[in-house]
Amino acid sequence: MTEAPLISVENLTRHYRVGEEEVRALDGVSFDVMRGEWVAVVGQSGSGKSTLMNLIGALDTATGGSYRINGKDVEHLSDDQLADLRNNEIGFVFQTFQLLSRSTALANVELPLVYRGLPRKERKEKAVQALESVGLANRMHHKPNELSGGQRQRVAIARALVGNPSLLLADEPTGNLDSATGEEIIRLFGELHKRGHTIMLVTHEPRLAARCPRAIRLSDGKVVADGPGAEVASLGAPPVQSPQAGAAA
Amino acid sequence: MKGVRRAFAELVESFRIAFGALVGARLRTFLTTLGIVIGVSTVIAIVAIIQGLDRSFEEQIQFLGAHTLYVDRAPWIQSDDTWWMYRNRKKITVEELRAVQRESQLAVSVAPMSGVRGKVARGNVELESVVIRGTSEEYLNANGGSVQAGRFLVAGDVELARAAVVLGTDVVDRLFPDEPVAAAVGKKVLVAGRPFQVVGVLERQGQMLGMPLDNVAVMPYPSFGRIFGNQRNMVLSVAAPPGKVAELESELTPILRKARHVLPGKPDDFAFNRQEQFLKLYKQLTGALYGMAIGVGLITLIVGGIGIMNIMLVSVHERTREIGVRRALGARRSTILMQFLIESAAVAALGGALGTAVGLGVAQLVALLSPLAAAATPSAIVFGIAFSTATGLIFGIWPAWRAANLDPVEALRYE
Repeated sequence: MTEAPLISVENLTRHYRVGEEEVRALDGVSFDVMRGEWVAVVGQSGSGKSTLMNLIGALDTATGGSYRINGKDVEHLSDDQLADLRNNEIGFVFQTFQLLSRSTALANVELPLVYRGLPRKERKEKAVQALESVGLANRMHHKPNELSGGQRQRVAIARALVGNPSLLLADEPTGNLDSATGEEIIRLFGELHKRGHTIMLVTHEPRLAARCPRAIRLSDGKVVADGPGAEVASLGAPPVQSPQAGAAA
Repeated sequence: MKGVRRAFAELVESFRIAFGALVGARLRTFLTTLGIVIGVSTVIAIVAIIQGLDRSFEEQIQFLGAHTLYVDRAPWIQSDDTWWMYRNRKKITVEELRAVQRESQLAVSVAPMSGVRGKVARGNVELESVVIRGTSEEYLNANGGSVQAGRFLVAGDVELARAAVVLGTDVVDRLFPDEPVAAAVGKKVLVAGRPFQVVGVLERQGQMLGMPLDNVAVMPYPSFGRIFGNQRNMVLSVAAPPGKVAELESELTPILRKARHVLPGKPDDFAFNRQEQFLKLYKQLTGALYGMAIGVGLITLIVGGIGIMNIMLVSVHERTREIGVRRALGARRSTILMQFLIESAAVAALGGALGTAVGLGVAQLVALLSPLAAAATPSAIVFGIAFSTATGLIFGIWPAWRAANLDPVEALRYE
């Protein structure tokens, strides 16, 4: 392949000090993600997947190793540069939606563009478009507490999409939803994947990982499997396979 | 250009958030601002009252010319235990007046002033306790003021000791009720039982230090002397050219010493009084009041500021997750810092505005219910709001700094 990967993670480590003890939350993780991929990151709790997500999302910085996204080395960025990187490259979707409760859906979706400094009119146009793309055009003036769980998560996805980031980073996006609504959200991700978005989805549910074209399994801070989602999900803790790009969905 | 636009968008967003937070928690906002409201309203009320006093004092002091020396046997402003030093001094009489008129080069005008309280009557209306003043035609030059009807005393009145009198408006109003002021001119009145002709009516002057200035009958000093005796004390009002008051004082000192036969080496037995001395005394008095107001204001602003800091710390704590979300979406530390600073400044500004309104209300009430005048200058209002806003900014720094330095990962996970 001649195309450079969107995300390139090499020997990434993240250690925490808890009292006297050093906890190796991530212990030398390497993988690439190409543009347009939909990758699940699975693992038990404590496997390091949240830590990985925080690093990929530029919310945290690594102890060692390197991480490049869209050609930018993340490890040497200043706090402001990290904020700008999050704003431009990453669209977050959280388990608990993390919408601002006092703001309308529209204002929530506009927020990343406020921090990008877009004029009000352009902000509004893009936010409306994003809400339309998740099927919520008729709910934009509602506040989060006037929306159902599924609708809230759609607003959150619209907010993640609105800045046209290079990566959609979702952390247990169905964790707080009933199975039917969760299914809707997963289908929405499938659709976004078809539209060409690059998606990383962190989950502890093998069932969900099985739906993704590619999955990476973490255990004790290490990559223990990387391959087609269905395979990785079905394996208990298989030996490391050679990294390969996922097939089409 | 993009940076500017981004900063502007963030600023607008910060104001929107601050407004939302304030409206969202009305009771808390109100209680938070209470400290500031009380502090600012106290200071505004005190300052408004002092400024009201200032203004009325300055108006009243206009009665004393700014460039005029008032030569009297004693200083007008004395400390309590020195009055006896002046009690036995010789009175100032026509002799000193003549000496000054004759010898002073600098004096623009010289007018003697003596006064008693006495009766002024017309027909069966008799006014007790009118200030009867003996002076010369130069009285208005030295003291300011003008006539609104008829004329003032002229040199001839003084030389010939005519029975001519110029009345103040209070006297005219009561002696000639229901008649235009001009109707008094030419009429006869009895001053201390002697017939006098009214030649003019003075313009209304108001009060000076609580004394009505319009309850007055002004006559030539020789006429005054004939009725009340020539040995009454006079005050000489000597006007200097602008800016030459001190020179005039140096010039007058030897003239007066000679006229009063003060032996060399003995201290002066007369005193120069000036408007400035009153202003100085007054400034000392109100300076202390201002100091107190500033002290009270500072203390209450600090108390109010601590209240704001406290509530902002609570607010930051409560909104930890919101801060995490904003950081995840691309807000920089400085953005969060600004957001919370604007919020605390806005709370404080609100308190300042409210406090200013309350303070002005209190000052108006005081003005209504007491003889004290209250006047709030725009600067007092601007200062009230500016200082409280500054308080909000200063006491908001720590909470805002804490908010800005939250770890995004921790903040997002915060329950």
